[in-house]
Amino acid sequence: MGAKRLLASLCLAISGIGSGTAGAETLIINSYGGPYEDIIRERIIEPFEKRFGIDVVYDAVGSAQQDYAKIKATQGRPGFDLVVMTASQSLQGCKDGLLEQLTPSSIPNLNALQGELSAVAGGCGAVHEVQYLSLLYRTDKLASQPTSWSALLDPELNKRVILPTFQNIMAVYLLEMMSVTNGGDLIDNIDPGFDAMAKISAQSVGFEQSSAILESYLREGSVWAMPFWNGRAQLMVDEGLPVDYISPKEGTIPLVATLNIPVGAANKDAARKFIDFFLDKSSQEAWVAGYRVGSARSDISVPEELKDRQLTVGPDGDRLHLPDLLRLQEKLPVWAERWERDVVPNAR
Amino acid sequence: MNSLALDLHPPARRRRTLSWFPFAALSPSLLVLSVFFALPMGMMIGMSFTQTETFSPTLEHYQRFFTDGLSLAGFCRTALMSLLVAVSVTVLGYPVAYFLARSTTRWRAVVFALALAPELAGVVLRTYGWLIILEDRGFINDLLLQLGVISSPLPLSKNLFAVVVGLTHVVLPFGILSLMTSIQGIDPNLERAAQMLGASRLAVIRTIVLPLSVPGIVSSMLIAFTMAASAYATPALLGGAGFKVLATMIYEQVLFYIDWPFASVMAMALLLMMLAISFVGVRYESRRRSRASVSSGGER
Repeated sequence: MGAKRLLASLCLAISGIGSGTAGAETLIINSYGGPYEDIIRERIIEPFEKRFGIDVVYDAVGSAQQDYAKIKATQGRPGFDLVVMTASQSLQGCKDGLLEQLTPSSIPNLNALQGELSAVAGGCGAVHEVQYLSLLYRTDKLASQPTSWSALLDPELNKRVILPTFQNIMAVYLLEMMSVTNGGDLIDNIDPGFDAMAKISAQSVGFEQSSAILESYLREGSVWAMPFWNGRAQLMVDEGLPVDYISPKEGTIPLVATLNIPVGAANKDAARKFIDFFLDKSSQEAWVAGYRVGSARSDISVPEELKDRQLTVGPDGDRLHLPDLLRLQEKLPVWAERWERDVVPNAR
Repeated sequence: MNSLALDLHPPARRRRTLSWFPFAALSPSLLVLSVFFALPMGMMIGMSFTQTETFSPTLEHYQRFFTDGLSLAGFCRTALMSLLVAVSVTVLGYPVAYFLARSTTRWRAVVFALALAPELAGVVLRTYGWLIILEDRGFINDLLLQLGVISSPLPLSKNLFAVVVGLTHVVLPFGILSLMTSIQGIDPNLERAAQMLGASRLAVIRTIVLPLSVPGIVSSMLIAFTMAASAYATPALLGGAGFKVLATMIYEQVLFYIDWPFASVMAMALLLMMLAISFVGVRYESRRRSRASVSSGGER
């Protein structure tokens, strides 16, 4: 009996269960690193821990798609209680039965979100931020401000463009916007998009997967334009770099970021409390001001300098294109093959 | 009768002792291999023949592998890259291994440490080092541009060349160790005798050392080939988006497209490639040995 108890204690010690302050709840959150981590810790996690007395363990390993692969591989028991992903994984996870349904009865602030944006993420995702694909450029290198996605084809940008790899959803959204710009649509008539991307690839310096590496090319000035999420683009503007970004006239596609709970999470109640706290008006204001992104809440105060930069589904409806993400997910393998065949070889 | 019984008894007891001991000794490793190798391997094989939605048996993933054009290209690219790495590791490693096997100077310890030093740093660290040296804005291109030797950067990264350079660096210590063990097994008196009979140093190497070290060469080639074929970090970082090998393609299928049956097919293709190469190597070596034993028997 004594040996069994010793063994159980050892197992608990090794697995880390029971660590932390005695009696305190622990919430394991899987999210992103870099500036995201710094800002979420300061503006959301620390106030949450103070208010609820729950310890948060922050795991910054993996992208949204990698996190979803982990949830799928473990059949909903990935070892974290809450994960930051996007609407694509939210919908897929709900369909596969791997993510918890979120309801206003346990998360009242879900009622405060704009219905159209909530619908994009489905019943298993709480939309906590909205960004959009913008065109980021060097103000000290381009003769004039670009206005259209077609600017990426301008001879002025020959060998001055860098592109994301297809595994970065930015590439998929850029492909779709190039399709719309050239007479196609978001999913069914994508040929014009591939034709345009083949041309952009030919005048690019290549492809990179990580946003941080993509950003480094623009920072040092070897690249003058690239697609980028507007929140991170705004952080670069705030740093005082000679860069700016636009939402091109043809419109753009939003990146709807979500908070999700895997079905096998150990601390679902704490995870629900965190989601409700993050969606709270004051938290959303703190997050928008800190990470320079948009919110799914329309009742929050937005810093003056961001007001004209953000797009929302209401007034900017014609400029925001919302693809059917489940259908898009089905198309990805075929598009990926075509991308590798028609787009990638044109670089260099 | 008694003496016969006494004679037979001890071997019978020895047999009984031997019968359970090997199993007991092997059981931990057999258990680990069964749970963490054979079982996942079986699941992977099963998955490659399973339809994603209905879980019914299918060959559609194999059909896609052979017809989509990209997967077979990735297979061929992997084979070419691994072959080039195997050759360069063996060619570059042989002189170092020979020196280490034969030298008795104090430099031997220094060269040995230098040969194995790359293993002290992780693969990712070493690969990033090569990225800094080879990329368009890297050390070599910067230097050549500043000296005015070139007007635009040479394509040293994001291609086969960069991956072969990076992987050669990663795998070289293993090739050297394999070759060194083989060369150490060759009696140095053979070389001395040949030189005393008038053979030049080069002739000794060509006609005595090289033929006798073929097992080490085969082993070095096999180790380098299999390590290169299954490498992920170096091709992913130095190869770029345009240079996809099976390992990076499997990663994409598992993590980005979540198409595990198709990833299983690619993993099967990679496994079969490595098994085939190992089979060819082992078969070549055993044939060579049997030929050698026949010819030496004939001389006797």
